[in-house]
Amino acid sequence: MAEILRSLRLYFLLQRASARGAMQYRLNTVIGVISGAIWQGTGFAFVWVVMHTFPSLAGWGLAEIAFLYGLRLTAHALAMIPLMSVNDVQWIVRNGEFDRFLLRPLNPLVQLMGNRMGIAQFGDLLAGVALLAVAGRNAQVQWDVWLVAFCAAAIVGGALIEAAFFLALCSLSLRMVDTFALRVFIDDVFSKFGSYPMKIFGGTVEWLLTFVLPVAFVAYVPSSVVLGKLDSPWAPAAPLLGVALISLAYLVWRRQLAHYQSVGH
Amino acid sequence: MIRVEGLTKVFRRPRTFSGPFGALRTLVTRQYEERTAVDDLSFEIGEGEVIGYLGPNGAGKSTTIKILTGILTPTSGTVEVNGLVPWSDRSANARNVGVVFGQRSQLWWDLPLIESLRLVGSLYDVPAARFETSLRKLRDLLGLDDFLDTPVRQLSLGQRMRGDLAAAVLYEPPLLYLDEPTVGLDVLAKEAVREFIVETNRAGRTTVILTTHDLADVEALCKRIILIDRGKVIFDGAIDALVDKPRRLVVTLESQPEDVRGVRRDADGRYVFDIHGDLPGMIASIAAEHPIRDLSIEEPDLESVIKGIYTR
Amino acid sequence: MTRIGFRLALAYRGDIIMTCVSLVAQVFLLRMIWTSVYGSRPAAAGLTLDALLAYLTLANLQSFATQTLVSRTIHHRIRTGTVFFDLARPVGYLRQMAAFQVGNTLGGLLLLAPVVPVVLLVGSITVPVNGPGYVITLVLGYVIAVQLALLISLIGFWLMETGAIHLLYRLVSQFFAGTMVPLAFFPGFLGALAEILPFQYTGYVPAAVYVGHISDVSGPVTVELAWIAGLWCLLALTWSRACRRVVIQGG
Ligand SMILES: Nc1ncnc2c1ncn2[C@@H]1O[C@H](COP(=O)(O)OP(=O)(O)O)[C@@H](O)[C@H]1O
Ligand SMILES: [Mg+2]
Repeated sequence: MAEILRSLRLYFLLQRASARGAMQYRLNTVIGVISGAIWQGTGFAFVWVVMHTFPSLAGWGLAEIAFLYGLRLTAHALAMIPLMSVNDVQWIVRNGEFDRFLLRPLNPLVQLMGNRMGIAQFGDLLAGVALLAVAGRNAQVQWDVWLVAFCAAAIVGGALIEAAFFLALCSLSLRMVDTFALRVFIDDVFSKFGSYPMKIFGGTVEWLLTFVLPVAFVAYVPSSVVLGKLDSPWAPAAPLLGVALISLAYLVWRRQLAHYQSVGH
Repeated sequence: MIRVEGLTKVFRRPRTFSGPFGALRTLVTRQYEERTAVDDLSFEIGEGEVIGYLGPNGAGKSTTIKILTGILTPTSGTVEVNGLVPWSDRSANARNVGVVFGQRSQLWWDLPLIESLRLVGSLYDVPAARFETSLRKLRDLLGLDDFLDTPVRQLSLGQRMRGDLAAAVLYEPPLLYLDEPTVGLDVLAKEAVREFIVETNRAGRTTVILTTHDLADVEALCKRIILIDRGKVIFDGAIDALVDKPRRLVVTLESQPEDVRGVRRDADGRYVFDIHGDLPGMIASIAAEHPIRDLSIEEPDLESVIKGIYTR
Repeated sequence: MTRIGFRLALAYRGDIIMTCVSLVAQVFLLRMIWTSVYGSRPAAAGLTLDALLAYLTLANLQSFATQTLVSRTIHHRIRTGTVFFDLARPVGYLRQMAAFQVGNTLGGLLLLAPVVPVVLLVGSITVPVNGPGYVITLVLGYVIAVQLALLISLIGFWLMETGAIHLLYRLVSQFFAGTMVPLAFFPGFLGALAEILPFQYTGYVPAAVYVGHISDVSGPVTVELAWIAGLWCLLALTWSRACRRVVIQGG
């Protein structure tokens, strides 16, 4: 426990240091956040335009889709803000920088995460939370403490699911296996298919997106529960999937780290 | 302090395929390329020693240091550093050792040096008071004052190296690994690094393992050297033992006798003596018999000795 | 330059194949969404579901095929200073860059060719209602796209960090090209805005001609030509300014 608190404290210290280093690029940072928000904005503008003409998508109204969309976006942002610099792992390994993480008395993953913060993802977070707030008000939901708590748990759980896939793929790069394209693809699937009711994909694809790449559990299942569209006794446990997957992903990371070969210069 | 036995490291890297599904192919095919970097290495190093760890490029020096610091896990063999196994007790081991890789900085590129040092202090849980005394000592010893507030990426190589050295000993580790700390430095900067090593070793009885290609470093700092080549130890012992060869005295005389003290005149009319013991006495006794016109003495130097060993 | 662009497209085939996969996914997603919202309705905004799906498939194919790399390249060359080699060549800079983009597009098309059948299968497509009209409007639209990309990239001569601007431009242009929703569905002011902006000519207009939603091509072609002429003047003007700036800075 003490070690976790120490890691957390040092993580923020490292993060603050890297933020100070990045201050020189302040204008780009601001544009980054704004364009992040606009990117997601145009994504939602599509839904909005469609639903302007057609009031229902597989039985979901505009506010409900917006809620689903916002939930996914917020989870995505929460996953990527701390993990953004893990994305660079391949380059960090290749130019030998990773060695220094292993020389210091702090978990190398924490040091890697502390290397850089996902700035553009704050734009996603902004857009996601805004959507959630507006949609949560307009959808027909009887909010109570439990439902809000479930929502929070669902967002964290969804973030953990995305983070797990991301971390596991990045781990492979510790051994110079290039997974960048694969990561882009997975991210694409999560963001493209995760924001719509799974029902519209039908049959095989719905099954794949539920049980193979569990995109459905990031936002679709939790928001179905919140919006009263799903009445399975198991559904409220969806956030736990994220905990299980991230634990697995961390094991993968540890295993790959044990096989780390450094670079020969 | 350090005990290494039968240490072997074989680099085994999957053949990587490029292309869009290269990652998948790499995962699926599992073909390997192998290279033995360190081969059945054994040695022991005691507290307070300064060891010159030498060998030609690609001999396996950096690989050894990476294993001793816990960056790499060896293929086989046992290593104990201060009673710890570096790669399994990595965090604990890290607190015991300071490391400088001359080729690559451990500092934060965009931050002023002082902030890098503060971060290092935090990472190693150095209490504020101890940090300040440590820093004060290092500022004097390494002359950091001129560039403490300069971002690391703007430092000259010599300044950066001094910053790296400061970061490596800030938390007063009992062990210091220096992998080519003088590479690319000018004479003055090299001198500063050497002084720093001597002082650190003397003041804190810090054990130092130094790899370098500059044998002047070794002669100035180390009593003992370990020579490796292609991953194997080929010499381990005192420098004196390695260079314990006769000094060579070459004289020309006014007269040209056939032989002087059992040494025959060579084709150039010189007499060449290999002398183990008392050189001045020898010169005096020759001069007593024959007036000397000219003489020269060749010291056996480390460089030629080592070159001799490598090419053997 | 054409050849360099072409070869570059082949060199980055990893990226492009990933793009293809993502294109198939995108078309599939759109098909599912639109099928779902149409439900049992025969037509909306004058488009049947079949025509709409054909339209979307085409529009996406087009927008991927006419994607412009040139602004990213120019940005990179300005930052690393290699732009001065380009300026030193005897051929006009803009012409070089345009040639580069054309080569790049050709390379991209070559790699895109194998996935076209897959995309058409996933997206379902009909025979063209007006083939020649489609080709004419598409080619003119492509010229506009390249001109716009060049114009955007010239900003790099004034601002050093333009990564975010490029991203923004790509987003906005894709959205208003109507690759996800035909412009006919855009409500109120969005529709008006889309009508004014030139992006529709790279996506919506040719695809709509193809499926017969637009039957008379003379109107769009005239507007396209006008855009090309206007952008050409604007480019020349901006370029002369940029040139002067380069000279003043002197590298
Ligand atoms: N990470 C690595 N992967 C593969 N081979 C390596 C790696 N690191 C070192 N080697 C190889 O191991 C040998 C020893 O390298 P190294 O220990 O760096 O030598 P030195 O530091 O003595 O110059 C070299 O042949 C080198 O190519
Ligand atoms: Mg080395």
